[in-house]
Amino acid sequence: MDVFFDTFFNFQFMADHFDVVWQGFIVTLKLSVVGGIAALIWGLILAVLRQLPGKWLAPVRWIVIAYIDCLRGIPLLLVILLLSSGLAIMATEGAIPKEIGIPQWFGESDPFWYGVFALTLTYGAYMAEVYRAGIEAVPRGQTEAARSLGMSHGQAMRFVIIPQAVRKVIPPLLNDYIALMKDTALVSVIGLVEAVQAGRDLYSEFYNPSGYTLGAFFFLIVTIPLARFVDRLIKKQNEKFQRGMP
Amino acid sequence: MSDKNSTTMVREVAKGETILTVSGLKKTYGKLEVLRDIDLNIKKGEVICVLGPSGSGKSTMLRCLNLLELPTAGKIELKGEVVFDGGKPKNLDELRRETGMVFQSFNLFPNMTAKGNVSIAQIRVRGRKKSEADKRSIEQLSKVGLDEKVDEYPDRLSGGQQQRVAIARALAMDPEIMLFDEVTSALDPELVKGVLDVMRGLADSGMTMICVTHEIGFAREVADRVIFMDEGYIVEEGSPDQVIGDPREERTRQFLGLVLDH
Repeated sequence: MDVFFDTFFNFQFMADHFDVVWQGFIVTLKLSVVGGIAALIWGLILAVLRQLPGKWLAPVRWIVIAYIDCLRGIPLLLVILLLSSGLAIMATEGAIPKEIGIPQWFGESDPFWYGVFALTLTYGAYMAEVYRAGIEAVPRGQTEAARSLGMSHGQAMRFVIIPQAVRKVIPPLLNDYIALMKDTALVSVIGLVEAVQAGRDLYSEFYNPSGYTLGAFFFLIVTIPLARFVDRLIKKQNEKFQRGMP
Repeated sequence: MSDKNSTTMVREVAKGETILTVSGLKKTYGKLEVLRDIDLNIKKGEVICVLGPSGSGKSTMLRCLNLLELPTAGKIELKGEVVFDGGKPKNLDELRRETGMVFQSFNLFPNMTAKGNVSIAQIRVRGRKKSEADKRSIEQLSKVGLDEKVDEYPDRLSGGQQQRVAIARALAMDPEIMLFDEVTSALDPELVKGVLDVMRGLADSGMTMICVTHEIGFAREVADRVIFMDEGYIVEEGSPDQVIGDPREERTRQFLGLVLDH
């Protein structure tokens, strides 16, 4: 039993190296907030583009559908590797400006920003599908009422459909957000020291995995309340639905 | 009820003059012919009730009039301007601005209060200031007897109240023509009267109205003209006394027999 605790729950070890893992977790938080917000916005843009009406905009819809299909079908790890190496090479070859190819905006490292890009591209595709489900769940009569009042397609979407759709899909969006937060760990492969990589560094130096356990604690402190919050939202929505309300 | 802010539709139509003309209107879904050949001439101030069995095409006709459904063929003219003549609609925005529509299922926007529902299109489509739109919304809502409900959300209102908000919402746009699509069919019986009273008042005020309805009593009392439709055709039209009281066509008689005999 002592071995077990010394291995996984060595509190002395955790206390000694708390700061290393904590600094890593702050990077995790930053990455998930910046990448998460960007993915939420990018996903909504994709969903709206996918719903554009008319014959002439069909190519736009096809491109968006192809994009969503591809990004949902590729491992995030691959997107991270492709993006970081690709942008870096393009920038050193002079094909794109260095500020974009090797971004170090707001004092954050280029692996951080590659991580933001990759998370946005991939999770934007996931979230676009969630938004789409929400848009399609708004009754047709809502669009008809808006159009019969003289609103354009864009106005109907902006003032009537999207506000209702977003409200409906907040729980699944938050679930995607939790998944995104955990997937930030993948950005460690291109050299970003976030919570998981901090644990690895400690492990290779001291041959003790308690740093991982500490990282796991940090994740759970955020993800469990979020999951509970999602459950409460769903329960509230169901109650509303059962009372026969839209 | 013409709009002072609207400069696009300059032409004014006097009461009794033709405001809406429909000719050769057809609508097919694949092989299904919903509207076969509809001709209709509507005068300003006229109240028309459209009767007919379900599936007769009456709702589809109504929805074609403001181009919520695109007709397969035919011509629609509003105030002498062609708004549809096959292919793409012309002056669609003007058409929608000049026609108000009320639906069977209310279709209030659940994310806005009663006042918000009535104001939103005034602000976004008519370009009124929010304060002005809200003032008009409160006026319209009190006209339909809902002065105390302006700040309620639709889910706190009864079906009858929701439908009256929907009527106020359409009226706030100052339309020339109001289209009513079975607006009492989804209501509990005790709530029907309140909505019909509002429509009665509107008819008395001189509004041009086209009402698809199953309320034969209402049609008889309020309509200037009754249209009976079946299988995509106008089978019979005339004064309510004639069409409902003394129908010429066998199919009309059959339908009225079934509706009135219970």
